[in-house]
Amino acid sequence: MSETERKNEINRRQFLGNMLKTACGVGLVGLGLGAYSKRASTMPANYIRPPGALPEEDFLGACIRCGLCVRDCPYDILFLGEVGDEVATGTPYFIARTGPCEMCEDIPCVVACPTNALDHDLKDIEDSRMGLAVLIDQENCIAFHGLRCEVCFNVCPIRNRAITLDMQHNTRSGKHALFIPVVHSEACTGCGLCERACILEEAAIKVFPMHLAKGELGKHYRLGWEEKEKAGKSLVTPDTEHRYNLPEGVRYDLQGEGLIIEGEAEETPFSSNPLDTLNSGFMDK
Amino acid sequence: MNICSLIVHTKPTQGAEVCQRLLGFQGVEVHGGTEEDKLIVTIEDEGESMSPVSDTMNALRDVKGVVNTVLIYHYGGEESMEEMNREIN
Amino acid sequence: MKLTRRDFIKSNAVAAAASVAGVTLPVSQSVAAEADDGIRWDKAACRYCGTGCSVLMGVKDGKVVASQGDPDAPVNKGLNCIKGYFLPKILYGEDRLTKPLLRKTNGKYDKNGKFEAVSWEEAFKTMAEKWVAARKAKGPKGVGMFGSGQWTVWEGYAAQKLLKAGFRSNSLEPNARHCMASAVGAFMRAFGIDEPMGCYDDLEHADVFVLWGANMAEMHPILWSRLTDTRLTKPGCEVHVLSTFEHRCYELADNDMIFEPQTDLAILNYIANYIIQNKAYNKEFIDKHVNFTKTPTDIGYGLRANDPREKAAKNRNKGKLTKISFEEYAKSVEPYTLEYTSKLSKVPKDKLLRLAKAYADPKKKVSSYWTMGFNQHTRGVWVNGLCYNVHLLMGKISEPGNSPFSLTGQPSACGTAREVGTFTHRLPADLVTKKDAHCKFAEKTWKLPAGTIPRANGKTDGADQTDISGKPMGKTLIHAVAMHRALNDGKMNTFWVMCNNNMQAAANMNDESYPGWRNPDNFITVSDPYPTVSAQAADLILPTAMWIEKEGAYGNAERRTQFWRQQVAAPGEAKSDVWQVMEFAKYVKVEDVWPADLIAKMPEYAGKTLFDVLYANGQVDKFPVEQVTDSRGNKYDNDESADFGFYVQKGLFEEYRLFNSVEGIPKKGHEMADFDTYHKVRGMRWPVIDGKETLWRFREGYDPHVAKGDGVKFYGKPDGKANIITAPYEPAAEPPDKEYDLWLCTGRVLEHWHSGSMTRRVPELYRAVPDAVVYMHPKDAKKRRLRNGALAKLTTRRGEIVCKVDTKGRNKCPEGLIFVPWFDAGRLVNKLTLDQTDPLSKETDYKKCGVKVTRA
Repeated sequence: MSETERKNEINRRQFLGNMLKTACGVGLVGLGLGAYSKRASTMPANYIRPPGALPEEDFLGACIRCGLCVRDCPYDILFLGEVGDEVATGTPYFIARTGPCEMCEDIPCVVACPTNALDHDLKDIEDSRMGLAVLIDQENCIAFHGLRCEVCFNVCPIRNRAITLDMQHNTRSGKHALFIPVVHSEACTGCGLCERACILEEAAIKVFPMHLAKGELGKHYRLGWEEKEKAGKSLVTPDTEHRYNLPEGVRYDLQGEGLIIEGEAEETPFSSNPLDTLNSGFMDK
Repeated sequence: MNICSLIVHTKPTQGAEVCQRLLGFQGVEVHGGTEEDKLIVTIEDEGESMSPVSDTMNALRDVKGVVNTVLIYHYGGEESMEEMNREIN
Repeated sequence: MKLTRRDFIKSNAVAAAASVAGVTLPVSQSVAAEADDGIRWDKAACRYCGTGCSVLMGVKDGKVVASQGDPDAPVNKGLNCIKGYFLPKILYGEDRLTKPLLRKTNGKYDKNGKFEAVSWEEAFKTMAEKWVAARKAKGPKGVGMFGSGQWTVWEGYAAQKLLKAGFRSNSLEPNARHCMASAVGAFMRAFGIDEPMGCYDDLEHADVFVLWGANMAEMHPILWSRLTDTRLTKPGCEVHVLSTFEHRCYELADNDMIFEPQTDLAILNYIANYIIQNKAYNKEFIDKHVNFTKTPTDIGYGLRANDPREKAAKNRNKGKLTKISFEEYAKSVEPYTLEYTSKLSKVPKDKLLRLAKAYADPKKKVSSYWTMGFNQHTRGVWVNGLCYNVHLLMGKISEPGNSPFSLTGQPSACGTAREVGTFTHRLPADLVTKKDAHCKFAEKTWKLPAGTIPRANGKTDGADQTDISGKPMGKTLIHAVAMHRALNDGKMNTFWVMCNNNMQAAANMNDESYPGWRNPDNFITVSDPYPTVSAQAADLILPTAMWIEKEGAYGNAERRTQFWRQQVAAPGEAKSDVWQVMEFAKYVKVEDVWPADLIAKMPEYAGKTLFDVLYANGQVDKFPVEQVTDSRGNKYDNDESADFGFYVQKGLFEEYRLFNSVEGIPKKGHEMADFDTYHKVRGMRWPVIDGKETLWRFREGYDPHVAKGDGVKFYGKPDGKANIITAPYEPAAEPPDKEYDLWLCTGRVLEHWHSGSMTRRVPELYRAVPDAVVYMHPKDAKKRRLRNGALAKLTTRRGEIVCKVDTKGRNKCPEGLIFVPWFDAGRLVNKLTLDQTDPLSKETDYKKCGVKVTRA
């Protein structure tokens, strides 16, 4: 990033910051102009911590605001919070839309961190969880309308794992497929390359800090089919073989397609196209 | 440059009237809410005098039919317009 | 939409207050929304690939302000790919060229001068001087024009007339030579008529899809979504994908195969062998509809004649077919056993077997699709033909779902380059300059003296044609790659590049293209909307009106012809290609380029300009200027008609139809509807007879040219039979060796069109894919101490470039091969490629040469 771009970036940030300050001011009506809370307890949703950052409370405790991670980022994507920002002063963050994490294999920002605020146990960048990409606007994402975009899928560095394409029938056109991007939290690092690349004027896919992005299943509940697969067998006594009263020519497949009426239509020795029959030589069969 | 937005609560059914009165002030625009008797108002200045925005705001309270004003949003900045335009567009 | 800072802040302020108050604001108050009032919508064919999607363009106040996929278009049903989504933006790049620019020093043309704005008159005067001089001094090959499969139909047609009839030169080639020439060659050899027999409806009817060297997922995005849908919704449907590296199509593959480059030849022969060994072939079909032939082997690689590989070739450039028996054919494919083929191709046996079984199963309908993997191949005509062999053996052809389907790269490679015949050897509607009778037909249709058009061999009625120099015409054909060589050698002195970016596109830039263009003897003209790499290397740049800034017509890969009206005006002095070609013709007199004995045959042409003779001939200028309107009464401009005083596009198209749609033409089967009809319909698939389109050709009931009772007839051939042509596996021209130890393959990506001159000017597409990278296997990278994201230097015997390594991205290369896209003007991969061609089709092979990769 050039010096001027960087300057603009900061201005933009101050601007955003100002807006948010006054938004906070909504709760403080009557206090007069310019009143705002100085200390941010939460960061804006689009501020993402560098790879390996500890959980926010711990991170704020461990980070000594040295700026070494910012200095060592080869792509210059990291900023330090400034006085008045909605992020603790001197702590590092990036904004995916304008400068996502390029996922260096040697993770120089983590190496540079003197205090383990960026966890030195992070050796493989693919294990980092900076945040989570969320396809937040399914109304405007053009893939949901059947357009062939898939830019987020194409740029994703954790190819075909963090974002996969779910192919579905396009009922509107009747003869095309939809290629729906689906983010998988078990692989997404939250690098934000997808958010930067999104071709919409406002990105439909965005990276958010994990706690904002992810729902959580009730702690008591398990997905039965996954538990069964994990165990490699039924968790309780396997089902016994079932037998049924059925007329001739009919089977019943309990775990599969249910009632099967055999010999119903199809499966004659002839192709439905008479030309196949006409054209196939019978001499050499 | 100062820009702020307010909600101006009016006496019941007087939204439209009050709206007309407010438009008499310099730098004041009404963006809607006459139906609801809650006017969405912006006040802006270009910094010619020390605090015209707050003056205007005080003045609005005394307008006939106004029950209360609530400040919602304030932007006050000094950067040049050009710079900001570049960033936005 | 432009926002001032104040507006922006204010809108935020208003929104915040409104949300707190729970007040809904009227739409006009919100900054984001803008009413669609006053937008005029009209249809157009998409500017990019050969799929031929239809789009609706919304114009307001003379500017395209909105766009949408055309919901009524049968191809795309309202869908677009990401490039189509941004179509309006390609018109409005900030650096559009708006004035002719000529290299000058001290007010005069100078090859080494700086570009200065000049008038159109000065531009054409300078150009005409150079062209006439070169034509006189160097013969019919002294001048050359390089056009495009992105030309509209009439632009190609006007250029065809200017070069072949006006300048009496066959030095006209389209960039389709780099793209579809091998497909054309194979169509002509196998069926005697160009273009696919099937159509896109095969995508819904096939049970098995086989992709041969086509990355449809990225290059034909909307067709791929149709294929995917069939795979998802049709029980038993399977997809086989073959390529030299893993690409996006492999996500859908049931049978994925990565083969060693060039061994597609062997795999196809193995399938034929499997079919024969298992007696699975359709005997009745081949008895009735097929001839067996063989083609000469060891034919070289289309390199310069002094290259050792050419000297070593026994049958250099030869392609004459000889008849053989079925048994001889069976014997020719016998060596291609499963063991041999698997070893050669490195594809596991079970996968090859599964593929062969799919073709050999009489119950399964198979559609094969291919694009540049087959066409850009030093044995491109052969390998196209080998695929037809398999389909013909099984009789799986010319019926719904059974289709060997050659996909086109460009929007009008079929409509313009192939149907109009803007190749050195062709004339409209499959006629060729090799045949005296075809040339005579064209001369009669164009109201020209017999003997005007140069024959391939320079002879008419057995006698030499006389050139303007007084000497015999001599041999006149020169293909695209040979043009760059001729420029380099000073044998061709003027060159006009239109609607393409051949400096970036042609292979071997360092040794051939660049020195050819910058040769001090040569005068290079480039017509383009943007300052491309080609424009940078030119001497004269002509600013060009693009796409919907003119009335146009494209023909897509399924024989569908689509028209559009002029939607907006071009910026500044930019003019359309058809205007440029026709206006330039005013600057050349018949006496400048025709010998006296030719003029004597039609003395009324004496003293006339080429414009008078070619375009004001009572045919092209037959239709008066009219106000173009649509069915809703909207009015459209037509800048060319306003300038020339007649309905240019209609006149050119209706004269073109004299080649394909009237009684007594030499080659039937290309019939088209009249001009006005195409403005009303969402495209029609030719042959169009009595207003009816043809979906599948050569099959009774579907194709009106096949008589009742014939069943199938390949009527492009005199005996109605198609050719199965046996051809062996032969190695590539420049396989990797010790020093240049990897294969280099080049190609495209979804987000960018060709050389990126349009799509790289769309900020969103540029942000999505900014630069070309080198895709390589992580192990190959590691061996060279490279990793993902590192800068690598790519070196071949011809040049070097530097780009970033990508080991994780969309294309996964096997060890031993790298892939680099060519869209990036900042990393010109054609500095690396070898100018090898198929010796038969003369199409460049961009997919195979040796390369070395090191740390940059």
